Amino acid sequence: MYKDTIEKLTAAGLNPGKTIAETKKETGKDLVGVFPIRTPEEVVYAAGCVPIGMWGGHTEITLADKYLQSFCCSIMRINLEYALRGVYHDVKAVLIPTFCDTMKCIVENWKLALPQVPTIAFAYPQHHKLQAGMEFTIDEIKRVKHELELALHKIITNEEVEEAFHVYEDWRKTMREFTALAAQHPEIITAKKRYAIIKAGCYMDKAVYTKLVKEINEGLKSEGPSTFKGTRAIVTGIMMEPVDVLDIFEENNIAIVGDDLAIGSRLWRTPAREDVEDVYQKMAYMIRDIEGDTFFFDPEKKKGQMLIDMTKALHADACIVMMMKFCDPEEYDYPIYKAELAKAGVPELYLEFDQQLSSFEQIRTRVQSFTEMLV
Amino acid sequence: MFLGIDIGSSSTKAAVVDQDKKLLAVSVQNLGTGTTAYETVVADVLARAGVQPSDIRFTVATGYGRVNYKGADKQITEITCHAKGVNFLTRDAKTIVDIGGQDAKVIKLDANGKVENFVMNEKCAAGTGRFLEVMARVLGCELGELSNLADHADKEISINNVCTVFAGSEVISRLSGGETSANVARGAHVAIAKRVMGMCNRVGYEPKIVMTGGVALNANMVDALAREMGYPIEVAPHCQAAGAIGAAVFAYEYFQKQ
Repeated sequence: MYKDTIEKLTAAGLNPGKTIAETKKETGKDLVGVFPIRTPEEVVYAAGCVPIGMWGGHTEITLADKYLQSFCCSIMRINLEYALRGVYHDVKAVLIPTFCDTMKCIVENWKLALPQVPTIAFAYPQHHKLQAGMEFTIDEIKRVKHELELALHKIITNEEVEEAFHVYEDWRKTMREFTALAAQHPEIITAKKRYAIIKAGCYMDKAVYTKLVKEINEGLKSEGPSTFKGTRAIVTGIMMEPVDVLDIFEENNIAIVGDDLAIGSRLWRTPAREDVEDVYQKMAYMIRDIEGDTFFFDPEKKKGQMLIDMTKALHADACIVMMMKFCDPEEYDYPIYKAELAKAGVPELYLEFDQQLSSFEQIRTRVQSFTEMLV
Repeated sequence: MFLGIDIGSSSTKAAVVDQDKKLLAVSVQNLGTGTTAYETVVADVLARAGVQPSDIRFTVATGYGRVNYKGADKQITEITCHAKGVNFLTRDAKTIVDIGGQDAKVIKLDANGKVENFVMNEKCAAGTGRFLEVMARVLGCELGELSNLADHADKEISINNVCTVFAGSEVISRLSGGETSANVARGAHVAIAKRVMGMCNRVGYEPKIVMTGGVALNANMVDALAREMGYPIEVAPHCQAAGAIGAAVFAYEYFQKQ
């Protein structure tokens, strides 16, 4: 039975358009688009809306070139392309965090490209660990709440935000359990299934989605020892698309046993502080407590050691870098942790891709050569 | 007898190794994947080796077109086959630089000659044989004449455009401005060498450095790369067919295991 749920969520993750339409139909809720890498979705949820992840897609770019150059994050280009084509006609607002220069500019482009949909920017603090950073985060969350109230013509109460936060904390805890269990059963939760199941959560009501993942977790707990004999890998990066890459991983008997992905563990690996009462403080502490994340100021550059520790803890054979063109923050981090991985003797495979990729032979050769190298 | 076939993007190579692991023959055809060159190259290499198709006990395919080649008992990537081929052809290689028609690779070998790390060209044909084809066309000479032409250079000029297409335009401008073809040819070799150096630095390199691929037939290019890398470069015998030779050696080894 839980395997049916695996197939259901896998299909949901691989078909975002269909899943979003079903979400709207089944919940009756309005949709609010949320850009990568993270936004205070709890506030959107508290408003009685479903936050819908806007993680690009696989399409040709014709209209977005009016605003964005070719050497630019493919997620941003595709989101803008979809906007200009009218794909997002159904969303009531769009939240755009300003993690990088491209996102900062996109906020303004978006207002020109899609003037009929309220655009709400969200600035995370650079110095997120300082008290000033905490206060800034709380102020920003409350400002976003206010702007959502204006866009949606409704009041969002603090109690509703608290309730939404509980839903999201349950989701985060459930996902931590899922990734731990999936690592124990890569023969069941294959590379593609793992990614698709996680991505399905970007397009569904979190309460509904979490319930389904809990079914999968209970099912995995009932399984005996794993029979997997292939390569166990951890991955780091933004996302793992086009999903054809995951087919190539499976062809080469590679399982993903852990991740440091933006559509992945980065969203839930930092738990909320249980000794903090106020929900806005809780949310601000979650940001403050983030470690080793590309998009948060980290002078100690903890990502490398974090990946090394993850490899050891999960008995992984290698680290695969899914480098999305042209993500500057991710590319700046790479030389630092690459050197650390090499020093620690962790085999590392670097794959560069963008969402419009349609020919995979070079990637197939790289992946296969890597597995031949590990033998 | 054991057959290795390397179906590349712009050429197809084959090699035959005998039961004593001795290289009998190689063949190179200048047509790549998507063509019927694999039929021609196999027929040619068998004829050169003096063997019949029925004598072949095991076949390994490699290269871009390996997945679609139906006649293989096993397919192995060209990275791994180049390492095997170079170790068969020479001793003590630690770094392989393979520059083909449309791709370039740098392969780092461990103390046992096994692949330790590798990097392939990422974005485009700059730094590959295709760049030299464009240059030869602009300079009005055959690809095989570039080396002799560059040997007559009396200064080194810099070709700044990374893109092969734009570099062609830049070269036309240089020639219009009175620059000599010899200097431009040398500049093209240095441009490729610098591009390949970026890949070498990413993967790390040390001597002994061995070069494979069709571009290794260009002695002036090899010299330009050696100067950039700061070490002499040995051109592997049968440099174009190193991958096919490696595949044939793998075919021999896999058959022994059966």
